[in-house]
Amino acid sequence: MSPAPDPPLPEGRWIEAGGVRTRYHEAGQGEPIVFIYGGNFGTADSASSAYTWNVNLAPLAARFRAIAFDKVGQGHTDNPPGDDYTMAAVVRHAAAFIEALKLPPVHLVGHSRGGFAAMRLALEQQHLIRSLTIVNSGTLSPRVGTNDVVLAQPPHPSYTRECARWVYENYCHDRAIVTEAWIDAVMEVLALPKYRASVDKMEKEGLKTSRFLPALARDKRETLAWLAEGCLQRPVQFVWGANDRTAAVEGARDLFEMAAAHERRALLHVVNHSGHFPFREHPERFNALLANFAAWASA
Amino acid sequence: MNSLAEKFVAAAGTRTRVVQGGPAREPILFLHGGVSGATLYCSGAHIWSPCLGRFAAGRRVAAPDLPGFGETPAPEGGAAVDRAGRYVLALIDALGLAPCHLVGHDEGGLIALWSALEAPAKIRSVGVVAGGAVAPSGDSVASLALLNPPRPLWSRAAQAWALERLSHAPHHITPDLLDLCAACAGAPPHCDAITGAGRSFLASIAPAKARLYAHCRERAFPVPVQLVWARNDPLASVEQGMALFKLIAERQRATQFHVINRAGSLPFREQPEAFHAVVSAFHDGIAAEH
Repeated sequence: MSPAPDPPLPEGRWIEAGGVRTRYHEAGQGEPIVFIYGGNFGTADSASSAYTWNVNLAPLAARFRAIAFDKVGQGHTDNPPGDDYTMAAVVRHAAAFIEALKLPPVHLVGHSRGGFAAMRLALEQQHLIRSLTIVNSGTLSPRVGTNDVVLAQPPHPSYTRECARWVYENYCHDRAIVTEAWIDAVMEVLALPKYRASVDKMEKEGLKTSRFLPALARDKRETLAWLAEGCLQRPVQFVWGANDRTAAVEGARDLFEMAAAHERRALLHVVNHSGHFPFREHPERFNALLANFAAWASA
Repeated sequence: MNSLAEKFVAAAGTRTRVVQGGPAREPILFLHGGVSGATLYCSGAHIWSPCLGRFAAGRRVAAPDLPGFGETPAPEGGAAVDRAGRYVLALIDALGLAPCHLVGHDEGGLIALWSALEAPAKIRSVGVVAGGAVAPSGDSVASLALLNPPRPLWSRAAQAWALERLSHAPHHITPDLLDLCAACAGAPPHCDAITGAGRSFLASIAPAKARLYAHCRERAFPVPVQLVWARNDPLASVEQGMALFKLIAERQRATQFHVINRAGSLPFREQPEAFHAVVSAFHDGIAAEH
């Protein structure tokens, strides 16, 4: 299979969400699908943005209103007010974004750290959600994530193309899918002064270890407890690349079991020859899984 | 729902009952499971009833009574996976379906995989549903799900008992279904199978699995494969499904594994909407890739 093509995202738009100037991209009409990408603010080896979904937005726009936004402190969206560099702030902002667009209940899709944010948002604000799709989220998985191991000590300096490429190639099953256009999008974010400011906050001022990670750990305990108790009462599917070196497929089975114990409309999908980004490694099959699930969830 | 019709077609010299319908695109051939004369409910084309119409709304579907089931006579010389596989290829030709997607339940999944190994050009993909008969089992612990069936076997009541024991919930075990199962039990193909002709199929399963496993170990399975398991299946654990997934995924890039919730051994009956979404997604995705 040739590398995924590089369709550009629809032109970015801006909206105020929870007091944060927020950039987003949307295409199509119909029931809204909102995508939350992974990663977090203040990382210098790589940087996510809405571009992560470029091979999904356009094809899904044929049937849905497909929307990808930049999370608070990531991509082109402003940094969190009051230096609130926490996952809780990310979740609050994501909910505020959905409300600011005045969307009817959305099909929410979250990947990796964004999978945690999506699950937490769904649990806290179920009225905003029509269905939930979680993709390769080591952050949500009760198993041991191995990002620290796989991505330890990149052989290239921070803020370089070579470093970002090395990170994404290690995430993926097929290194050839890490296109120049994807790395261009990463470099664009890494060059933003406001993004460098978030790196200073997280790394130099140490907010990552003093605040972000401990708060995330507490939130995760609570989130998994809520999931196990049956608080999630919306259709949910877990889509997992089978060859992810950072988030083992066993974690997907654990999460599916927790959700399926309480929600009939729960599905597990394992996709072969895919690392951390099944929606980029196999966009056609991922988009079809999402479209058919959304249709079922809305029926 | 698209209307379905029954027709009879000769395939490999066997007069075969086929339920079919839908517009002429992206055909799917559904192969039911079971071993005639051994499985405690009588399968056949009727087993797919809750989901065939859903698929037929957008594409061509066909579901036969395989030889030895329903109204289709048992094969000469005894049933076997390889014989059934060759018969399925003849049926694809007789119905003009090639290339088509195969979706096989349990033993039907093993037959589908065998057919694809034999003639991959005729088959776009294989779906294996609740494939307890296909997955590696090792020296597995005996299932107690069907330990003490009521007698007489294959009575309407005994089949209702078996279907319920295999299910997560009994809502799909309707009077219509039981009527069809009871009619199949009394028809000549099944009566012949009970007297021994059908038992040869059981003996043919292990060699067919060995051929499949050796092929997947050495070479890529020739077409995309989707495994659709059910979370509450008493005969095929998710663990077994993952073992089969890993075996096929080792060399076939387009391999997917799925688990449907609140369903036992017949997920296409218990959760037909979920089943339709999962199977359609795989076929849509493969079509979009090409």
